[in-house]
Amino acid sequence: MSDALHHLQKNALKPKYTGARVTRKEDARLLTGASRYLDDIEIPGMYEIAFVRSQRSAARICAIHLDAAQATPGVKRILTAKECPCFFGSAEDVANGVVQPALARDVVRYVGEPIVAIIAETRYAAEDAVERVQIDYEPLQPVLAMRESLLDQPRRVHEKTPNRMFHSEYQTSGFEDAFQAAPHHLVEVFQTHRQTGVPLETRGLAATIDPGSGRLTIYATHQSPHGLRGDMAVALGIEENELRVIVPEVGGAFGIKAHAYPEYLVVAYAALKYKLPVKWISDRTECLLTDVHARDDIHEVEVAFEGNGRILAIRDHLRADAGAYSAFPFCGAIGETVLASRVLTGPYTIPHLATTIDCTYSNKTPLGAYRGVWGPIASFVQEGIVDRVARALHLDPVEVRRVNMIPDELFPYTNAAGQAYDRGSYRASLEKALEMLNYDELRAQQKTLRDHGKYIGIGISAFVEPTAMAQSEAGSVPYESATIRIEPNGSVTAAFGLGPSGQGHETTMAQLIADELGVDLKDIVVLHGDTDSAPFGGGTGGSRSGPIGGGAALKAGRAMKEKLQTLASHLLEAAKEDVQLEDGKAFVAGVPTRNFSIRELAQVAYTDVLRLPEDFPVGLEVVARYQPKRPVTFSNGTHIAVVEVDAQTGMIEVLDYVVVNDCGRLINPLIVEGQIQGGVAQGLGSAYLEELRYDDQGQVTTTTLADYLLPVATEVPRMRIAHLETPSSGEGGFKGMGEGSLIASPAAFANAVSDALEPFAFMVSALPVTPDQILAAIDRSRDSMA
Amino acid sequence: MKPAPFSYIRVATVEEAANALSEYTDAKLLAGGQSLIPLMNYRLSKPTVLIDLCGIEAFASVSLKDDVFTIRAGITHQSLHEHPLVRAYAPVLAECAGEVGHWAIRNRGTLGGSLAHADPASELPAAMVALDARFVLTSVRGERTVTARDFYLGLFTTDLAEDEILTRIHFFASSANRIHFAEIARRPGDFALSGAFVRVEESATEITWFGVSDMPYHLTLDALPVEEKARQALFTSLASTLEPLDQTVYRRKLAAVVAERAYLKGRRVQA
Repeated sequence: MSDALHHLQKNALKPKYTGARVTRKEDARLLTGASRYLDDIEIPGMYEIAFVRSQRSAARICAIHLDAAQATPGVKRILTAKECPCFFGSAEDVANGVVQPALARDVVRYVGEPIVAIIAETRYAAEDAVERVQIDYEPLQPVLAMRESLLDQPRRVHEKTPNRMFHSEYQTSGFEDAFQAAPHHLVEVFQTHRQTGVPLETRGLAATIDPGSGRLTIYATHQSPHGLRGDMAVALGIEENELRVIVPEVGGAFGIKAHAYPEYLVVAYAALKYKLPVKWISDRTECLLTDVHARDDIHEVEVAFEGNGRILAIRDHLRADAGAYSAFPFCGAIGETVLASRVLTGPYTIPHLATTIDCTYSNKTPLGAYRGVWGPIASFVQEGIVDRVARALHLDPVEVRRVNMIPDELFPYTNAAGQAYDRGSYRASLEKALEMLNYDELRAQQKTLRDHGKYIGIGISAFVEPTAMAQSEAGSVPYESATIRIEPNGSVTAAFGLGPSGQGHETTMAQLIADELGVDLKDIVVLHGDTDSAPFGGGTGGSRSGPIGGGAALKAGRAMKEKLQTLASHLLEAAKEDVQLEDGKAFVAGVPTRNFSIRELAQVAYTDVLRLPEDFPVGLEVVARYQPKRPVTFSNGTHIAVVEVDAQTGMIEVLDYVVVNDCGRLINPLIVEGQIQGGVAQGLGSAYLEELRYDDQGQVTTTTLADYLLPVATEVPRMRIAHLETPSSGEGGFKGMGEGSLIASPAAFANAVSDALEPFAFMVSALPVTPDQILAAIDRSRDSMA
Repeated sequence: MKPAPFSYIRVATVEEAANALSEYTDAKLLAGGQSLIPLMNYRLSKPTVLIDLCGIEAFASVSLKDDVFTIRAGITHQSLHEHPLVRAYAPVLAECAGEVGHWAIRNRGTLGGSLAHADPASELPAAMVALDARFVLTSVRGERTVTARDFYLGLFTTDLAEDEILTRIHFFASSANRIHFAEIARRPGDFALSGAFVRVEESATEITWFGVSDMPYHLTLDALPVEEKARQALFTSLASTLEPLDQTVYRRKLAAVVAERAYLKGRRVQA
């Protein structure tokens, strides 16, 4: 083998982590059960808390009888609102003169609202005592329907505040004329029903006074360690430096764990006031009742369009049910509607938009952030509109998408709501997905099968995914921080303010740093989740960790690389720009034998410091922060679902699923695909299975996983995933992608059912769509034909 | 989601179990615990004593002699599903046992537990009604035998007395012939929205529905119409008299569909 060829091959094999299918550093501990979650934290003498929760959706509390509970063996203390006077007030609630007490005071406003906290030696004893607490209620009429609530009917949820807790209007100039002048119009009401994230690990909190420092230490399963520290400090009336937040392994979060909850205040307050180590872990019923709910929206839509399928204008009255309080610190109702109104035109050049938004209080669980937040709803509406236009005009849904899709030459594109989209692969992703599916052939097959009584449906969902926003459920921190320290032995320790819950940041951030520093992935440790060691950051949420956290990793990596080059150039007596970093060594370009290993450089930096160049600080540490210039970074892609609907039973089977995803430059395709698979699974649940149902008294009737149906492995389809890469203008060219798969997939699944049931003139307008609804629609259609 | 306090007894024989059951009031038998433990965790069931049957030796056997199957109540759903004798001579029972929950549930849940729990949407009680099985109930007072068709009285309600244990199940292998089964559930492993066992003979038909009433619903008919439309109309008209606990219209529709599907399965197999 010639030297040149050898050199070529060596370069080809050079470890280049960014963009590679690197298996996750986290997997070994996660898959062997070695991870330590919140409930694995053991503090000697730790007490457990159980809550007495409201069994009424709306009532005055007349009396709380605690004697029998107090006498229960193992009970240490009992707290009511009197003993624990803390509260949370989100900006939206406070503007309306509302705050949520940690424990209900005088009035209960939703089923599951905590009223009494029992601190006992074990959770068993605490629950024994819970059973013995008696509460006398004077029932009030519950406020349960959005349309009535808007009119303060049957009453106000908060006596002094109108139920309409948020209102806004927006209209493009010339909207009315454009709308009226259009040759075709259609109307539809889209509705999404309550769902929630249901992380495998339920939420909870443990708190103790650190005996050494006297500081309060909180163990939390949470997405934003620093955000939680700030919020808890304010609510508890202590300084942030008196509080340490530690986030152990988090078993799924999905936005649900971006919130701070009333129970957290009770736990922390009890630890602080009574100097007791205490813990509360939600059980599954508490999870379904009191984790923030999501997706409780109604969109009344009017669409104006031309005969070729071109959509000219959309008018939408958006409503969302906020629940009894705004979730803290992020109001889901406002988030779902306001943000939906900004991306309602999706990937299409729809020039005119008029939106009216109304959010209302109700006697239901607060609405908060669940993966995708507004996106799944906006996509369901937008893709539902496109399919309705196609059906009204007897056009192929693909043709209507082609007519309306933003052409490449229009980028950067500003949509009708004023959102500036990044360059993307809008048309290319649609065409690629159609090609993967063999679309035209499948359409022909669909026809043949219909004649044999088999109803196949093809559901297309082209999506935009706003990511890396300056503001999101992860708070209003528009940047991320990374510190990198090279240890005296040459290994690398990096720390982030992110709050991963399974996204694999310990791998992806290490990949980026490894490439900058030319070191092996195994020599990098990524720390996060302890406010004492992590640099201040916004945390994880809103698909920001890759683009913003990754940007910080790159900047910090480059800063450290520069330090290493400076030091090595001094020791090697070479020009700094000639020093390269590779294979754990710094060497003079073209003369790899003239080198210092990173380990040797670290030794000089920490111990042999007399050899350091003048002005070179002792040690090897950097901190860097990255704030994207754009307020939002848009990813895009196309999902297509193929389903079969059993016209006898209404049951749906997914036959095929293709995804073309563009999240800019890929850090790790394996992790991106994992995110997509999880999001499509949740999308299947959103579209067909999951619903938090309320009865007419405001009782949640789906409080177990036998009633709240989650998608399980047997139903989630194998999916075929392709990547397109249109780099963003941001650091590294990354775009976020944590939510796009759940933004796109409910619409794809819904449209597939609509398409399958075209012979029965049925279109899905409410999610989830269930087999009994499908069968009823088929029957109605058959009756009307008969 | 923690149970109320209870005492725990592990017994080694049926006699010990019967003695314990007669000795304690508010005692419950624990077999696989797949229904009882969740009920206790929700505090919907608060027994003061739990008598664990899992230590009883040879409580999970299957035998077939002179056309009579004898199955001891402790057999798990998965064992029933996989048992070579059951597969060979009562395949419909093996098949429906495989539809109970998921593998992890089938590995613990027992036949006796399921039959005594009497969930109206579960497969096995209906299978026993379809098979015209006999249950042997054991107590300190002795043993008695009751037919499955008499055993079920209503929603989660059976003829089992407070001090009795369902210990053995008998049925004729020959009665398993010509019974076929179909069910529809939201997700694989869920309780059925509707299911049916259909037995087709030359001159008579038997249908046992589950999931569409407060207990297995059994009826005997003359021979079914061979013509598809007439047969489906008959199923639809029969199903219209069912009283499901919820989703009445939908479950009745499904009842007709599963009956037809079970029938067609039988016709395919017997062809």
